[in-house]
Amino acid sequence: MLLDYDRLGWLRAALLGFTGLVAAFLLLPVVFIVLLSFGSSRWLAFPPPGWTLKWYEELFADPAWLEAALTSARIATMAAILAVVIGLLASFALVRGQFRGRNTLRGLLLTPMVLPVVVFAIAIYAFFLRIGLGGTTAGFVIAHTVLALPFAIIPITAALEGFDKSIEDAAVVCGASPFEAKLRVTLPAIKIGIFSAAIFAFLASWDEVVVAIFMASPTLQTLPVKIWGSLRQDLSPVIAAASSLLVLLTLSLMIVTALIRRKLSK
Amino acid sequence: MTEPFLSIRYLRKTFGSFVAVHDVTIDIPKGEFLTFLGPSGSGKSTTLYAVAGFQQPTSGDVLLEGRSLLSVPSHKRNIGMVFQRYTLFQHLTVAENVAFPLRVRRRPDAEVNRKVAEMLSLVRLESFGGRYPGALSGGQQQRVALARALAYDPPILLMDEPLSALDKKLREEIQAEIRRIHRETGVTILYVTHDQDEALHPSDRIALFRDGRIEQIGTGEDLYLRPASEFVASFIGNSNFLPAEHLETVNGSATIRLADGSVVSGVRIDQDFSHGQKTRLMVRPEAFRLRPGPATAGLAVEFIDTAFFGERRRVIARTAAGQEIDVRPTSDMAQAHEGITSSRQIFFDPAAAFLFPA
Repeated sequence: MLLDYDRLGWLRAALLGFTGLVAAFLLLPVVFIVLLSFGSSRWLAFPPPGWTLKWYEELFADPAWLEAALTSARIATMAAILAVVIGLLASFALVRGQFRGRNTLRGLLLTPMVLPVVVFAIAIYAFFLRIGLGGTTAGFVIAHTVLALPFAIIPITAALEGFDKSIEDAAVVCGASPFEAKLRVTLPAIKIGIFSAAIFAFLASWDEVVVAIFMASPTLQTLPVKIWGSLRQDLSPVIAAASSLLVLLTLSLMIVTALIRRKLSK
Repeated sequence: MTEPFLSIRYLRKTFGSFVAVHDVTIDIPKGEFLTFLGPSGSGKSTTLYAVAGFQQPTSGDVLLEGRSLLSVPSHKRNIGMVFQRYTLFQHLTVAENVAFPLRVRRRPDAEVNRKVAEMLSLVRLESFGGRYPGALSGGQQQRVALARALAYDPPILLMDEPLSALDKKLREEIQAEIRRIHRETGVTILYVTHDQDEALHPSDRIALFRDGRIEQIGTGEDLYLRPASEFVASFIGNSNFLPAEHLETVNGSATIRLADGSVVSGVRIDQDFSHGQKTRLMVRPEAFRLRPGPATAGLAVEFIDTAFFGERRRVIARTAAGQEIDVRPTSDMAQAHEGITSSRQIFFDPAAAFLFPA
């Protein structure tokens, strides 16, 4: 191979350095936020003059933050469940179906991922206002389900494409109805894909802010919306604490995912 | 005449303008081991899939004991099937796999357990019940698949090239196993393969498919000794085709002239040829003799190469017309390798040769 890593010589060191730089560029802001959330300076001075947990105390003392976090979790869970169910049905059609416009449908289902979020947000905001879904949990969940759908469809179609349909046929010949065969044989075989879909769909909703700002009302706010709102009022280290918790939850979810995937694929 | 057990009637399947199966008709008696043999794309698998219910035929019918199966969905046909690829359910143990068809039929636990044990002992995997398919070899997986397919005592067992993913030694082992299970259970088997050896051993009858039609149906012996066409002759066993000109036929016995000018009479034929028609004479490699016998015809050849194959020596010879032929004399082998490159005569019985249109 032309670009064999083992034969790069001194370039290897350069490559390693550059990769490290990129990783640092991506990760440092997160590290700073976490450090600032423990800093004693009200003005987010860096390096922090001292260390404290008072911002976390303030955060947990304000019920609005907890409520926002619960709202986020509730909406993300519902959106993830809906996205996985719809994504599963859509994936069967996309992988197994033999109909005209199949590729068009696949493209259509994946557009929320490539469409500028703000365009989607304005469109769905205007539409939901008209049909009375603006500022409701249902509207929130529907909007986030649409956004999460591509993240559910991609891993499920990949898993389904890797599954030999003969195995499902074998279950049918054995006497299982086509539905029972899918339930008892196909779904267990693609469970890793379904699990990934659920996690990605949850995260797609959990840290989404643009559509959420349009969907939110004073009484219905997700955590990212609450952070954004507080940020505009005053720059308090409480926001850094909330952000740190957001990062922590996302991170632990990814680690748990990795562990479960490893266990499932055994 | 009694009603055939399984009957495939004028089965036809088209994909757009392509006709995959052309009006195939076969009657299969209960307990028969029937093999669909043929090259890929000859329609044998499509026919099998129509019986399984995975392919809806364009026209024609499949009858089991006189009742049409076409309106019965696959999962209610009560048919057993072993697939070409490994189709065990990876998330279930071997015993759970075998139990699966019984569980979906809501059979009581005691019956399920008894049947699973019986099936695992049938395929000689008694001690493997608790393992997962991932821990089994390919041959063991296909044996479990066989046990699963037979667990509910289906009247018909379909096998779609079940041995093609296995290596040669395992293939022979599982083949013997299938033969034994057929003997022990008496189940009617439809077996699809493209491998003539796989077809010849276990089958009661073989249906040789070509381009969506059955070219010939009969026992292995029928197909080998009395091929209906040049295609059958070349697909089953080895054969040499010598260009010949038909001279005359008297009482089903033809006289022909070979390319080297020699005239052979006494060739048995069962179709009509005109005088001077171009034909091909088929002679099996093992039909050649090194010494003349009563009523044999001679062929002038030159031995080019010989190779030893254990039970038999194979000789590559070249005829006076320059055609290379395959000769496997069954006796007097000692003489076979003494005469490399020497010109000599070899002999065959014209009554054991076949004449086909060129």
